[in-house]
Amino acid sequence: MNRKLAYGLAGVGVLAIAGFMIFQALSTSLVYFILPNEHAANPAQYEGRRIRLGGIVTPGTIAFDERDLRLTFLVTDGIVAYPVRHTGAPPELFKESTGVVVEGRFDGGTFISDNVLVKHTEVYVAEGDHIDIELLRESLK
Amino acid sequence: MELSLGTLGSAATALALGLSVYALIAGIAGAMRRDARLQTSARLTAVAVFLATTTAVIVMQGALLTDDFSVKYVAEHSRIDSPTWVKIVTLWAALEGSVLLWAWLLTGYTAVLAVTTPNHALRPWALVIMQGVQVFFLGVVAIVANPFIVLANPPFDGPGANPLLQNHWMMAVHPVLMYLGFVGLTVPFAFAMAALITRRPGTEWMQLTRRWTLAGWGFLTAAIISGGWWSYEVLGWGGYWAWDPVENVSFMPWLTATAFIHSVQVQERRRMLKSWNVMLIVLTFALTILGTFLTRSGVVSSVHAFGDGPVGPVFLGFFVLVTLLSLGLVAWRWDQVRDRAELDAAVSREGAFLLVNVLFLALTFMVLIGTLFPLLVEAINGSRVTVGAPFFDVVSLPMWMLVLLLMGIGPLLPWRKAETQSLSRNLAWMAGGFALAVAGALAFGLREIYPVLTVGLAGWNLVSLGLLLAGAIVPRARLTGRGLAATTMRYAFEQRRKVGSMVVHFGVVVVALGIAASSGYRTDVQLRLPYGERVAFSQYELQALAPFSERGAGRVSVGVEVAVFQGGRQVDLLRPHINAFGNSSMTVPTAAVRYTLGHDLYLSVAGAIDPTADAVIMRVIQSPLVTWIWFGAVILALGTGWALVPARSQPAAVSAPAATGRARA
Repeated sequence: MNRKLAYGLAGVGVLAIAGFMIFQALSTSLVYFILPNEHAANPAQYEGRRIRLGGIVTPGTIAFDERDLRLTFLVTDGIVAYPVRHTGAPPELFKESTGVVVEGRFDGGTFISDNVLVKHTEVYVAEGDHIDIELLRESLK
Repeated sequence: MELSLGTLGSAATALALGLSVYALIAGIAGAMRRDARLQTSARLTAVAVFLATTTAVIVMQGALLTDDFSVKYVAEHSRIDSPTWVKIVTLWAALEGSVLLWAWLLTGYTAVLAVTTPNHALRPWALVIMQGVQVFFLGVVAIVANPFIVLANPPFDGPGANPLLQNHWMMAVHPVLMYLGFVGLTVPFAFAMAALITRRPGTEWMQLTRRWTLAGWGFLTAAIISGGWWSYEVLGWGGYWAWDPVENVSFMPWLTATAFIHSVQVQERRRMLKSWNVMLIVLTFALTILGTFLTRSGVVSSVHAFGDGPVGPVFLGFFVLVTLLSLGLVAWRWDQVRDRAELDAAVSREGAFLLVNVLFLALTFMVLIGTLFPLLVEAINGSRVTVGAPFFDVVSLPMWMLVLLLMGIGPLLPWRKAETQSLSRNLAWMAGGFALAVAGALAFGLREIYPVLTVGLAGWNLVSLGLLLAGAIVPRARLTGRGLAATTMRYAFEQRRKVGSMVVHFGVVVVALGIAASSGYRTDVQLRLPYGERVAFSQYELQALAPFSERGAGRVSVGVEVAVFQGGRQVDLLRPHINAFGNSSMTVPTAAVRYTLGHDLYLSVAGAIDPTADAVIMRVIQSPLVTWIWFGAVILALGTGWALVPARSQPAAVSAPAATGRARA
């Protein structure tokens, strides 16, 4: 009986440690998907954290330095726009007014990206300042 | 009604479903009343179900190969100018077809079981369970996701299969291996349930299904690693495992199956863990269904997912049903599966197996949490989150290290209780191997904790395998007076299970080294390569020669030829390119890899290829020992195969015939 109790306690102990490790690791490695206006509402919450930022590439803001392979552009949801700095070539199909999700961190007001994903959001077309936020969010999914 | 391939296919699946339902009912009645005639009828019907499903598969292949766009599945997923092999594999390139393939393999396994299983008390109920699972799958094919629906206005051409899938021949192999694994693991599940129903919770069910389990596990292992290789060659990021939901859901049943093939040995030798083994195989089977629900219903988004549809909820329902019924059965028969024997000592073979089981279950739990957590968060506060790879790495790496540690100790421990003297001598040798390997790793310049530990544990395991082999060979050679080589050969042929497991464990060491090196020490940069100029990268020089474009069957490729120089001499010519299929707007960058034993050089076109530009931007990745993963997989497969081949002149052990004297009473 005592031995069973000991094995039982050991088992519970192992599970407790594993559970603690799992939730500890989860809390630090969750990557939030947000739009620029959500960041603007609460910038401190996301500072330095890895996030996925979705939006539309603002027309006329794409700049690519071929020598340093530095890509910069503005990503917007129609409410707030943020500059994005990415090291690497613009992905194929990357162009103005297209939906993108960039992965990386905010450094001050600039988003430092290490991955640019082009979203084939054929349902969505940016028309001036009028952007349907819910539609945008869905189409970037 | 007009006769077409669509109606023919629908008729074949409906016939298969009808026959399967009959076989299920006849099987249940035959098993309950112990009526040998009904049992035989159910068994023969299982063969008929297989033939009917085979007809459906042949009809679908016919429709795909003849571009019959009146069949909905063909219209939605095939294309006239696709090459023949793509048309053939389109059968499993989308949801409805892949369920058909799954159902077909299942009917095949059931038919083989019905014909070849010896007349054993477990056979009738095991076939009933197989038939029940089969009714579900055939029901999905015939009713919920019928690929044979006839279109009133067939299009002239279809969009073709998903470009990512068409882009690599591995897609012809990987899904089939996966379903062979899933279906193979259904067999021990069916026999476990039969064992509970017939109150025979002994070791018969696992002995009768040992080969099926091992083969299923082997197929699943091969499927997972070949999927990794597909990802490596196709997705352009130079990695092979991203902890993506689709990868995770195939990995979870593998983890529980791995635990299972170890813990059944404890029951075979020590009559312990009866309920544990039943629960593990229930969990394994249920996880294959849950995985299908998660990835086929669109609840978790993933790069590989097939998308929404009514199939998801149906699989969820089946998952709940399977779980409740099996656990209910376990509860009902609890007094039969309760363990009476106790662990004699923690330091014993069974103690090590138990511990490694706990680890594999903890890993399963971690993968499950990581996969489902985004759903939980979204349900609670509406935030959209993903769980990054760091989570899985941080949590699983310490556990993998423990698994490797135990893999070295376990096989050397005797059953029941270890003798301290020989154990400490063995441990001293293994610790020596560990220390030597760590010293080597440090001298080589490794500093990260997990790669260094992995190398150390590789040394630990190699010494352990050496001790294991020497312990078996040396006394035998002494006894018989034969040479060491001859004795080893003899031993390998006589003790296939033991030798097979050693080979598999060796394969695991090779794979572990490949993973540790390639994930810990890769270089990943983007380089601008002006045409004609040599650009230095690591020990190489890369020279982009000229862009090219070419046309294949149903495919247009644009790419760049890159000459690879080493020490001033050209050693390779790589052709990274971008494929476009049919009129799909989606293009697939296709990497070119120089495989070597020490490291891979991986080139993938970054961005677009502009024929007017004077340079191309290339993603260049160098990662060490990646090929070891694929070699290790081959070793794993060989070891599994070796353990599967029956040893010579070993009669099949039948302990209890099925049709007892009461059959006609």
